[in-house]
Amino acid sequence: MTEQRKDILDMLVAGKITAEEAEQLIAALERDQTPATVGHDARPKGKVKYLRVVVDATDNGEPSRVNVRVPLQLLRAGVRLAALIPPQALVKANASLSESGVPIDLTQLKPEQLEALVEHLDEVTVEVDSPDATVRVFCE
Amino acid sequence: MPQLVTVKVNRPDHRPIRFWIPVLPVVLVLFPVVVLVVLAAIVACVVFRIGVVRALGAAWRVISALPGARFDIEQGRTAVLVAIR
Repeated sequence: MTEQRKDILDMLVAGKITAEEAEQLIAALERDQTPATVGHDARPKGKVKYLRVVVDATDNGEPSRVNVRVPLQLLRAGVRLAALIPPQALVKANASLSESGVPIDLTQLKPEQLEALVEHLDEVTVEVDSPDATVRVFCE
Repeated sequence: MPQLVTVKVNRPDHRPIRFWIPVLPVVLVLFPVVVLVVLAAIVACVVFRIGVVRALGAAWRVISALPGARFDIEQGRTAVLVAIR
C-alpha cells in the first residue's frame, strides 16, 4: 500500500472525507501512477546497454549501410577520459570550433553533465528520413 | 578486457577474409611495445600536468568497456566488419 493511499484511508476513517470522495481520490491516484509504471516497464532502466547508429543510404545507385553498436559503458569511460583534457587544449579546441562556426565553450562542459547526458541516452531515439538515406540512433 | 577481435572483409571478386585476433596473446607478444607506449603516456601526463593514475585508470576503463562494440560498414558488395568481444 502506498503512503498516499494510506493517507486517503486514514482521512476516511477519521471522517474527514466520505467514502465516495475516498474512492474518487484513489481512482485519481491510480490514474497518475499508471503511465509512469507502464513507461518504466516498457523500458526498464539498467537494461539498455548499447548505443546503435544505423545508416541506410544509396550512394551512386549502390546501397550502403553503416551499423555501429557502441557499449554505453564505453561512452561513460570516454567521458571520464575527456575530463582529463588539459585546459590549454580546451582553449585551442574552442578556438578551432569557433572558426568552424560551432561556438561551443568546452570549458563550460562539466564531466558530471556529460555523464548525466549518457545516463539519459536510453530515452533518446533519433530518426532521420531523406530520399537518399535513413539514419537511426537509438539505445538497446 | 577484450578477449577476441573479429575482422571480416568482403570485397567484390575476392574471397571473404576473416581474422580472429586473440587480444591477450597479441598483447603478450607486443609487450615491449605496450610498455613503451605506457611510458610515453606517463611522460605526456607529466608534461601536461595530468594525474598519471587518473589518466591510466580512465584509459583502462575505456579498454575494459570495449567488449560488445561492433562496427559494420557495407558499400555495395564491399563490407568491413569489426567486432570486439
